[in-house]
Amino acid sequence: MSQLAFSNLSKAFGSFKVFDGLSLAAEAGEIVVIFGSSGTGKTFLLRLIAGVEEPTTGTIEIGGRDVTEIPPEQRNVGMAFQNFALFPHMSARENIASPLRAAHADEATVESGVSRVAKLLKIDHVLGHAPRELSNGQKQRTALARALAAEPRILLLDDPLRNVDAKLRFEMRLELPRLLRQSGATVLYVTQDYKEAMALADRIAVLAGGRFVQVGTPEEIYMAPSTLGVAKLFGDPSINTLETRLSADGMWVAIRGKDIRIDKAAKLGGREVILGVRPEAVALTQSQVGLPATVMAVTPLNERVVLLLESDGGWEFLASLPSAAADIPEPNTRLSVTFAAEGVHLFDPTTGERLHG
Amino acid sequence: MRKALPYLLSLPALLMCIGILIPFFTAVYYSMLRYRLNLPAMKGFIWFDNYINFFTDPKFWNTLKISLIYAGLTVVLELILGLVIALLLQKRSRVNNFVSILLLLPLMTAPALAALMWKLMTNPNFGILSYLVSLIGFPDMKWGSDPSTALFTVVLVDMWVYTPFMMILLLAGLRSLPTAPFEAAALDGVPRSFVFFRITLPMLMPYLLTATLFRLLDSIQQFDIIYAMTQGGPGDKLLVFQVQAYLDFFQATNVGRSAALMIILWAITYFLSNIFIKQWLKLRERAHGAA
Amino acid sequence: MDHTSTFERILRGILLALVVLFFMFPIFWILLMSFQTNESILRMPPSVFFTPTFDNYIALVTGEMRTAAGSLQLNFMQNLWNSVLLSTTSVAVALVLGVPAAYAFARFKFRLGEDIAFTLLSFRFAPPLLVLLPLSLYFKSLGLTNTYIGLIWVYQLICLPLILWIVRGYFEDLSPDIEHAHRIAGYSWFQTFRKIAVPLALPGIAAAGLLAFIFSWNNFVFALVLASADKQPVTVGALAFVTASGIQYGQIAAAIVMSVIPTFVLAMFAQRYLVEGLSLGAVKG
Repeated sequence: MSQLAFSNLSKAFGSFKVFDGLSLAAEAGEIVVIFGSSGTGKTFLLRLIAGVEEPTTGTIEIGGRDVTEIPPEQRNVGMAFQNFALFPHMSARENIASPLRAAHADEATVESGVSRVAKLLKIDHVLGHAPRELSNGQKQRTALARALAAEPRILLLDDPLRNVDAKLRFEMRLELPRLLRQSGATVLYVTQDYKEAMALADRIAVLAGGRFVQVGTPEEIYMAPSTLGVAKLFGDPSINTLETRLSADGMWVAIRGKDIRIDKAAKLGGREVILGVRPEAVALTQSQVGLPATVMAVTPLNERVVLLLESDGGWEFLASLPSAAADIPEPNTRLSVTFAAEGVHLFDPTTGERLHG
Repeated sequence: MRKALPYLLSLPALLMCIGILIPFFTAVYYSMLRYRLNLPAMKGFIWFDNYINFFTDPKFWNTLKISLIYAGLTVVLELILGLVIALLLQKRSRVNNFVSILLLLPLMTAPALAALMWKLMTNPNFGILSYLVSLIGFPDMKWGSDPSTALFTVVLVDMWVYTPFMMILLLAGLRSLPTAPFEAAALDGVPRSFVFFRITLPMLMPYLLTATLFRLLDSIQQFDIIYAMTQGGPGDKLLVFQVQAYLDFFQATNVGRSAALMIILWAITYFLSNIFIKQWLKLRERAHGAA
Repeated sequence: MDHTSTFERILRGILLALVVLFFMFPIFWILLMSFQTNESILRMPPSVFFTPTFDNYIALVTGEMRTAAGSLQLNFMQNLWNSVLLSTTSVAVALVLGVPAAYAFARFKFRLGEDIAFTLLSFRFAPPLLVLLPLSLYFKSLGLTNTYIGLIWVYQLICLPLILWIVRGYFEDLSPDIEHAHRIAGYSWFQTFRKIAVPLALPGIAAAGLLAFIFSWNNFVFALVLASADKQPVTVGALAFVTASGIQYGQIAAAIVMSVIPTFVLAMFAQRYLVEGLSLGAVKG
């Protein structure tokens, strides 16, 4: 039995549909990241599950109980808002204590509950402060502590790292998975940062156009994106694309006049496709088997180096190599490239759907 | 229950609406009656005769004229005076803040009581103002009881009470203006008069318009000051709409005429308030945009 | 920095002095009158030098006025009490009813709410007698004429729309997420309203309540139409007092002073709220 399940969830404002038939089931302790670009309604989905908004159609179940008609205070969920939404007229302690007090816990339980999460989140020294006296990072931790305090079965986190500085974001990205595992709650985590999604998620649900276009483990999403859109959302730098045609046997693809071997399924032979090549899948060789190209620019990016290449036919694409790689070529170097099969994806030019398994 | 909540909460407001709308429609109905409380036998439905009669009724035209003059005079004078005071107090300083608090006091005075205060000060026998004007060549000034000065007197009281209101709104407007254009103009050595007429006034215009319409709506319905000061007299000099309707109702007990007068005044204020609300929403949007 | 500054400063000073003189003099003068005997008031030319007396106030408070012709009963203290009772009760009722309604208008976007808000707004500027005159006939048949209940009821016409408009604006400015967070933390709608929405909108509620109190206190026409002497507030009572006492000018002045003191005191102590309420009341809410 899933801890959290919603099915066929839709929300419309007049003729404008925010969602159209969203369904998902998550197990106890599972971390599901709701991923999508801004404006796709990720936050709204969390509000629906929390019960502060009502769906037009569909049902929400928590622990097997239908809660669609049940008000938020009876749903046993915790939520951390992107803008923190701390109660400005209460101290950090009272903010964190509020879910415990709502459950009519006695003073000792409240006290121990607050200090437990405060220690966990390293804010025990600012509990007496009012929200306006806290730094953004402390606000964010207080909001998180408040969501965790009553040990809810469902934890809804709305882009909690969005409004904190880069250093803290980096730290929290490392800390959060442990913290969330410890809580044992089923977590819905909203973000538009794919690295955050990959780092935290057991499963990722990609939201676009009011639907889940793909739900799967981070590996599945990355290795087998179900649409061109999903492929573009995951990966930095983004996947290289080219509209082209497969050879009759499906083994070769034409790149601006040069046929390149990609070893894909024969049943797709002869059709128009969008070729997607992850920059990490581009391999440089000196031999003549690959696609001849010229290095246009070289840019370091974190632990990798990104190369801008131009094929002889004039197709510009990116390659991403580990910084540690032995020989990073200089600009204007002539070389040829091959594509690693697992980083090559084919999509339908009109629908953008993935064409192979 | 969840769905019913908003309706439950707004029930008092709904009842209030009904409480306003029932008398309103009753007034509309009365305005089409021949209805005198002292002559109940004459009561009858006469459609728009009460309104039609107004066309040939010099008393009505007098009421309309006096109301418009009163409203126009008070609003224009208060606007100018209020703007001047707001400009004087624009800079935040201890003195200016103190003065702006002091100026709240007339506004806090009930208009009816303000009229009594001025009545005491303009008493021909011992009033300080009567004494002061006698020193500058106006002996025996009768103020509110003299047909030639009655309007002047009540306008003065109205100004005393309501100019601070204009001032507060315009001061809030002035202080909310962006400072950049003024700094730029000061750097460029632009003449002050140019700054005032080409920068300050246009930028203040929404506030001026809102304040003017707001006061106009109030002033055309003035009752308290005039009634407390002169009860509409001397003669018919100050029989503005509401005073006339009050007297029609309680003295002449002519309910039909009184109701018709009120409906006409309502139509005028409805027209003005529609303009006002549009203007006010615009300003509100702007205030929100700035925040 | 600018060469006209000395001249300009003097001019500004003079203008400001004139402004203060015009607006403060009547208050100052009535205050002086209230401490004078009739003889001293009637002396010409008027003078600020006199032997102050509290007789006027004593007469008002004891309700007995001794004149050469004998003693006269005054019920000014009754008027003052009526003002206190009517204004405070009306504002209290309006707050209890209006704040939740304002919250409903701000938080739940629903058709009826919009309609009510629109109706109240469009009648906000309607002439009071339009509603009062028919109401006076209804009141007669309902037996509400000259009752506190009836007056408090019509005073809602002043208080309730004011509170609805100003407080609604304040609620709309609050982030709904804070309330959502509180609901999710496990509190019912009403607890969230009481512990989050109301405390956070308190400045607005205070401003609206203050303004409603002042408007109620200063109201004249409602009680003039619907109440007789024993239920009338100071505004109407003072006018009747003038007619009744005729020439007791010192007592009239003292009555005026006592009638304006509550609103003056409120204005002094809460002027920040007041200015906010006034400008919001007109500009915003």
